[in-house]
Amino acid sequence: MACMNEDGQWIVLMGLLVAVGLFFLALIINQSALVGQTTVEGVLEFPKNDIRDLREVIFDYVDKYGNTGGSAANNVRDDIIAISLDRKNAVVDFTVKDPVDISGQRAYPVEIHYNNGVTVYDETIYHY
Amino acid sequence: MVNDSGQLYTMEGIAAGLVMLLTAYLILSTTSIYTPGDTHIPDMQLEQLGSDVLAMMDTPDSDGGENHLVNLINRSDRDGFNSTFLKYCNARTNGDPDTIHMSASVAYRDGDRIEEHQLVKPDETWTGRESAVRVTRWVQLDQQSTRGDPYGSRAQAVLVEVLLWRA
Amino acid sequence: MLRNDEGLFSIDFLVGFTIFMVALIAVASMVPGLLAGLQSSGIDYDAVAYRTGVILAEDPGWPVDPPWEAYDVNHSGEIERTGLAVSKDAPNILLSTKIEKFFDTSFFDPEDYRSKAIFGDITYSYNITLRSLDGRYNHAVGQETPEGYGYIRRVVKIKEPSVAVINGSFKDRYTISPDDNSTTRTFIVRFDFNRLINLSIDPAYRIDPRTEPVNITITDFEKFLNGTASEATLKSVTFRRGSSSIPFPYDEDDTDYYTLRIDNNPVLYPPEPGVGVSSNISLVLKPAATSLFELGPTSILDVEFNFEDKPPDTNITGIHYYDYNPTNVTRPDLKPAVLEVAIW
Repeated sequence: MACMNEDGQWIVLMGLLVAVGLFFLALIINQSALVGQTTVEGVLEFPKNDIRDLREVIFDYVDKYGNTGGSAANNVRDDIIAISLDRKNAVVDFTVKDPVDISGQRAYPVEIHYNNGVTVYDETIYHY
Repeated sequence: MVNDSGQLYTMEGIAAGLVMLLTAYLILSTTSIYTPGDTHIPDMQLEQLGSDVLAMMDTPDSDGGENHLVNLINRSDRDGFNSTFLKYCNARTNGDPDTIHMSASVAYRDGDRIEEHQLVKPDETWTGRESAVRVTRWVQLDQQSTRGDPYGSRAQAVLVEVLLWRA
Repeated sequence: MLRNDEGLFSIDFLVGFTIFMVALIAVASMVPGLLAGLQSSGIDYDAVAYRTGVILAEDPGWPVDPPWEAYDVNHSGEIERTGLAVSKDAPNILLSTKIEKFFDTSFFDPEDYRSKAIFGDITYSYNITLRSLDGRYNHAVGQETPEGYGYIRRVVKIKEPSVAVINGSFKDRYTISPDDNSTTRTFIVRFDFNRLINLSIDPAYRIDPRTEPVNITITDFEKFLNGTASEATLKSVTFRRGSSSIPFPYDEDDTDYYTLRIDNNPVLYPPEPGVGVSSNISLVLKPAATSLFELGPTSILDVEFNFEDKPPDTNITGIHYYDYNPTNVTRPDLKPAVLEVAIW
């Protein structure tokens, strides 16, 4: 047997490396079809109940204190802002303006701001 | 002088290599598709259920009627809170009731500090259980001179935190 | 001749090979799409169940005004979503008339449930159940659940329509004064929308005749009779908006629009019954009719019970306001309930 011709081994070896590299890339592309946020993670991440609850407690505050301020009202407002920051990891702010008359019913304009680091929610609403 | 008479061997080798790689890839990829996110589905179900129960406890049955949640927190009634919450939580439309356990605490502000007062202690199923979920609800307490520790008598807003788990 | 087997490539071979490789990579990258599609239908059962739970518990449905439960068989195609909530500002408070309509399997078939509550391209099987904790509401629709299924459970409260009960305790207020010589007897129940549509009242407790039925029940009618008469003839029930009368072209078969019962008789009566009343009258006016009356937040709707006998057999008169006063109108308590949705 003549001695084996080992020329060109480098090229074939490089070819094999490239093929393995392509194999790896194809697997990544395959998995990327399912990567991304799943529906359940999206549902858990959006603070639907937190925002609804915050709106209701602010409306309760408006029902009790209106926009008159005072020490009791400011205490409650500080409670909401401090506990939101500490326990819910959310920056919350709200202001109540002077009441306006809308078709015979009196409404307070309320501005609500909520930011939990992922979701930002701003709303201006008239609360009757 | 380049002679291209060896190209056929190389092409054949590469084609064979590719066929083998493609086969190996197809086999491996059909078995390794995993679905992230399955782990969080029970968490979502529990969280929605817990939020619903707290919201319904916070809704009086009639206009101007008794608000169960506010009354239970005002009186710091741990047994009442426990039984009412679990009654709503474990009810099913048919078959046996569900087996959800809970513990509750109330966060309130005292000057510059946020304190936590344990309302319902966790029971003996605290270990060896599925993962727990936290749900919260704001409660407004009125000025009430007879309300003692720990909230004090001033009008304030407190946060009720409930941990639920299935055991 | 000695073959030289060196593995050297020529340039045009490289070009051809590159084009071949690019094409192969493009084809190979499309293969995962083929395989992923076959396996995804089982993954999202819980997500679809959650979405259906939200539609049923937190969404009033579409159309809202007139409400979708007022639509009859001929217009059922216009219903886009069958939500059960009272309004979008009162999540988890369900309205009993929407519940009754949703679980009416003679009105909706499985294809309707899929297209109006569940949505999605795949034909899901479903099982939706609702039970109140006191057992009064116990509805189910769909097939038996198999071993594995997507699931969500919601806790809700059920709002029932209000009732105005005019019984013997109102006798002194609604009796004609002795020196009045008129011969017509008209008893009016007034819906003043300025008072009813009060936005400071939570929708869970609000009375809105445009979206929920209203019930007027006159009992102890023998206390309103005149002297020796044993019954008074109810000539007609008419409707007025302010000063103009509203045509009411329905008869006793139009139970989707109203029901009129007299004296515990099982039959239903037309708006001009012309029969004698001895103990009670019960009129239920449904949103399908009220929404056609063109009423706004400042309208006044009068429901008139006209009695005609010569000489008059009853002394009833006056205006009863259907408002939030608990002696005038009884609003039933909200009933806690559990709603479960299973999808597979």
